[in-house]
Amino acid sequence: MRVPVSWLRDYVPLEMPLPELAERLSVATAEIEGIESRGVADENGNLGLFRVGKVLEASKHANADRLQLTRVDVGEAEPRQIVCGAWNFGAGATVAVALPGAVLPNGLRLEQRKVRGELSDGMILAEDEVDLGSDHDGIMLLPELEPGTLLADVLPLRDEVLLVESTGNRPDLLSVYGLAREIAALYDLPLAAMPGSQRRGHVPGDRVDVRIEDFAGCPRYIGRLFRDVTIGPSPVWLKARLLAAGVRSISNVVDVTNYVMLALGSPLHAFDFETLDEGRIVVRRATQGEKLRTLDGVERALDPRDLVIADATRAVALAGIMGGEQTEIGEATTSVLLEAANFEPFGLFLTSERQRLRTEGLNRWEKGVDPHVAGAAANLATELLLELAGGRLAADSDVHTELPERPVVAYRTARADEVIGIATAPDEQRAILERLGFEHRDGDVVVPTWRARDVTREIDLVEEIARFRLEEVPFTLPRRRAMFGALTRFQRLRRRVEDLLVGLGFVETYTPSLRADDPASAALRLPEPLSAELAVLRTRLLPSLVDAARRNLEIGAGGVALFEVARVYLPGEDGLPDERLHVAGILDGGFTRAKGVVEALHAALKIEPAFDRGTDELLHPAKAASVPAGIVGELHPALLEGSWGVFELELKRLVDDARDGAKFVDVVSFPPIREDLAFVVAEEVPAGALAAAAREAAGPELREIRPFDVYRGPQVGEGRKSVAYAVTFQSAERTLTDDDATRLRASIVQELKRRFGAELRA
Amino acid sequence: MDWQAQETEAGSAIAAASTLEELEGARVRYLGRKAELAQALRAVRDRDSGMLLNGIRQRLETAVEERRATLERAGLDRALSADAVDVTLPGEPFPLGHLHPITQARRQIEDAFVGLGYEVRDDREVEWSEVNFDMLAFEPSHPARSPRATFFLDGADRVLRTETSPSQIHHLRERKPPVYMVSIGRVYRRDAIDATHYPIFHQFEGLAIDKGLTLADLKGTLLHVMRAIFGEERRVRFRTHYFPFTEPSIEPDVSCGICDGAGCRTCRHSGWLEMGGSGMVDPRVLENVGLDPEEWGGFAFGCGIERVAQLRWDFPDIRALWEGDLRVLRQF
Repeated sequence: MRVPVSWLRDYVPLEMPLPELAERLSVATAEIEGIESRGVADENGNLGLFRVGKVLEASKHANADRLQLTRVDVGEAEPRQIVCGAWNFGAGATVAVALPGAVLPNGLRLEQRKVRGELSDGMILAEDEVDLGSDHDGIMLLPELEPGTLLADVLPLRDEVLLVESTGNRPDLLSVYGLAREIAALYDLPLAAMPGSQRRGHVPGDRVDVRIEDFAGCPRYIGRLFRDVTIGPSPVWLKARLLAAGVRSISNVVDVTNYVMLALGSPLHAFDFETLDEGRIVVRRATQGEKLRTLDGVERALDPRDLVIADATRAVALAGIMGGEQTEIGEATTSVLLEAANFEPFGLFLTSERQRLRTEGLNRWEKGVDPHVAGAAANLATELLLELAGGRLAADSDVHTELPERPVVAYRTARADEVIGIATAPDEQRAILERLGFEHRDGDVVVPTWRARDVTREIDLVEEIARFRLEEVPFTLPRRRAMFGALTRFQRLRRRVEDLLVGLGFVETYTPSLRADDPASAALRLPEPLSAELAVLRTRLLPSLVDAARRNLEIGAGGVALFEVARVYLPGEDGLPDERLHVAGILDGGFTRAKGVVEALHAALKIEPAFDRGTDELLHPAKAASVPAGIVGELHPALLEGSWGVFELELKRLVDDARDGAKFVDVVSFPPIREDLAFVVAEEVPAGALAAAAREAAGPELREIRPFDVYRGPQVGEGRKSVAYAVTFQSAERTLTDDDATRLRASIVQELKRRFGAELRA
Repeated sequence: MDWQAQETEAGSAIAAASTLEELEGARVRYLGRKAELAQALRAVRDRDSGMLLNGIRQRLETAVEERRATLERAGLDRALSADAVDVTLPGEPFPLGHLHPITQARRQIEDAFVGLGYEVRDDREVEWSEVNFDMLAFEPSHPARSPRATFFLDGADRVLRTETSPSQIHHLRERKPPVYMVSIGRVYRRDAIDATHYPIFHQFEGLAIDKGLTLADLKGTLLHVMRAIFGEERRVRFRTHYFPFTEPSIEPDVSCGICDGAGCRTCRHSGWLEMGGSGMVDPRVLENVGLDPEEWGGFAFGCGIERVAQLRWDFPDIRALWEGDLRVLRQF
């Protein structure tokens, strides 16, 4: 909320420098996002160059049809001649004048100059030229004032605006008076009485016909009828305040409703009474199929849960959110029905969600406005309407259910000390609470009406003390009775995986968990995505990495090797998806590159990888392998130009299979025997199967068997291949003899022949 | 014969030899078979002069060998120098991998908390609305419950978690206090994409539940963590705030590292950088997981990791973290 400081000063005397006030409020109350200076700069005597002037003469400029030539008394010995383009005044008018040398808010410096041959020795001001309004149809007309009076003494030429970002629990701070009350409490300053808290003036005998059908949605409705009203522009002071607060001036009546909302925090609405069927107000839920064209010009289909203000026959406003077009105040309006009501927050919030409509009024209602303040709001609006729009108060009503009791909270001052960690004397706690409007009764604390939603428990009172003393609270660390800080095995091994891939030259990337589409048809789709590109929760990481690799190719990056560790979201059983962390990678190069990476990953985790032929729609159909944790292979060439190695593994499975630590094997004491063995087998027998069978046959004395060559050709025959292995025999207990080697070799040859029909090549 | 003068002369000749040939000449002259020293040695008859002459010979022979080693090494170096490389040419490239800045920040945060005796956890991202909102005491009209702020799945009882705070519930359901944990992971909000917003981002969320924990402990813990992340010279201030699941609620600000509080563009001229939210765990949250707020209490805090990364590495646009652009990622 934008809070003009000049307006705050109506309610609380501010002596402290504004930056200090802003800091204190930010810490204890609500963040002050900035202090905006607006209007005429107060530098080098600039303000002194803006004066009240009395127009002594005014006539048409001899050389220009659209200009007036005036002589204006600005309190000097001689009047000044000023050329002016406005015609909404004549001799005798009191106006605002800027003298030569004056700097306007837009940065323009005025100079004496000739306009069509006539000297212009100043400027008669329109409100927009000094940031007091947005009107430029004519110059500002002031009430009768002594010529030469400093303009700053009669108009808010210069103001500061606090940009207040209050939190959702403090609707009371969405008003100038509420912020003033808070400042008064923080600094122990006197606070003016709430404007409108005392009803003044004529109280009519007639009633406005108000019926509340739904007290749960609308606990209170004050209706006041004004007759013989004249709709017109607001005075400059009102326009200036609204403008500084960021609200557009519309007309005196509408401006009064906005002004009171800003001042007190209770939103108001004004209807053109003559447009209300039977002159009645009914607060009810919308009927099935009911429609309302709101002030924003939107024809809205109402939901039977929506609370509306209706007349005898139809909805005329979406309660608390926006009025209807048909009952809008217009230039010809002469009878105004003022609404000062109270609405239940959650229902209005739901309506605004359904209607996708947010307004300044709703912003307050949804946080819970004090129903007691509606009376003051009605009174203040009444005073202003009568003053600014004339007419008379003809009828009124205040229909309400029993207004909520003020919460009474049992409070232990010692509890505040326990939670905050410093002692605050009971007297001081009492003083803080009382300055904030809390009262003490029989040892309990009674909450003021404007805090009744926010403060209902002891801990809420503790917060009041805490925020006042926040800067004094020291920095300590917990006194621990137990310590258990360590990464879990999974977290450690996740780092191992990440570090290994980085060590192999991979660059880690993050890609969005939401995609335009996913290979799995059962992937979870958001009913209301932010965009088509972020619509589906992915079940695979690889498609995202393929996209990332493609982007890098397009920008000409070489040596692309990317990996990601992230969750995938598989359809689950209990309603929530089965989320699993995957590690996936893509790198320039083919199958063997990717397989090498996956082998290294397994080796780093001390897992013997078991590779099988695999199938995966993202992979090359002939170059795809599976391991227990996932897949590895060559990317399907249709997905990305070039030859790309890819893998995607489930991290938990990988880590579950990992062996912690190493068991020492003596490979030093006794010499190894190395041989090369080549076997001829049918083409379809995998090299890995031969090696596995050899291990089974020879036992632990077969230290290593590693394929190093595959030969196909006439020497081995059609449909057959020769696979050559480098074989190492070694025992941890003794030196193996030639006889041992012969025995081991024979057992391997025999087993491979039996299982695969393998022939040992000479 | 003045053998002392003879030794001095020979020593000088050896030291002066600048090539192996000159050294050999000196050796032959003073230590050769026909040299005076050799002849004298052959003629020696008494023990004293024998020791004297042998001493001279040994010292001179040592000098010759040392000089020879020096000259040989110099000769080798001269020969090698002819084979000089241009040291400014690049070496053979080894591909260098990089951890993503979010991972680097994540690890730093994890390490800081492990050092404080916290456990690290990571919870599901698709969450029951009940856990994401109700259990955390979000009021029914809290703006985060709006589908304009939050991604719901069909049926509205499931959400993409809007903060890491559901970890508080999971942890307290699984564990008995005292607990000290930090949860790190992805969260989702319906923010329009711009330089500082992306609908997917990362948070860390801390929770401490114990007996006798105070607001002062929260302030001290966050001071420690912020300094661990940003540097020991940083100052931390706290502002009153509001969160449904903490009371009192406070927001930590860290002094701006660019201007050190003087005010600059990065801190929007305030001198402070907003770092997240925190507060004392609301009694309702404790009751929701079956703990007695009179017995147990504590604090919780949450903070965006992108923000940490953005401030640490000073990059202007958060979208760069999601694009996998190697030109960007190789800088980290």
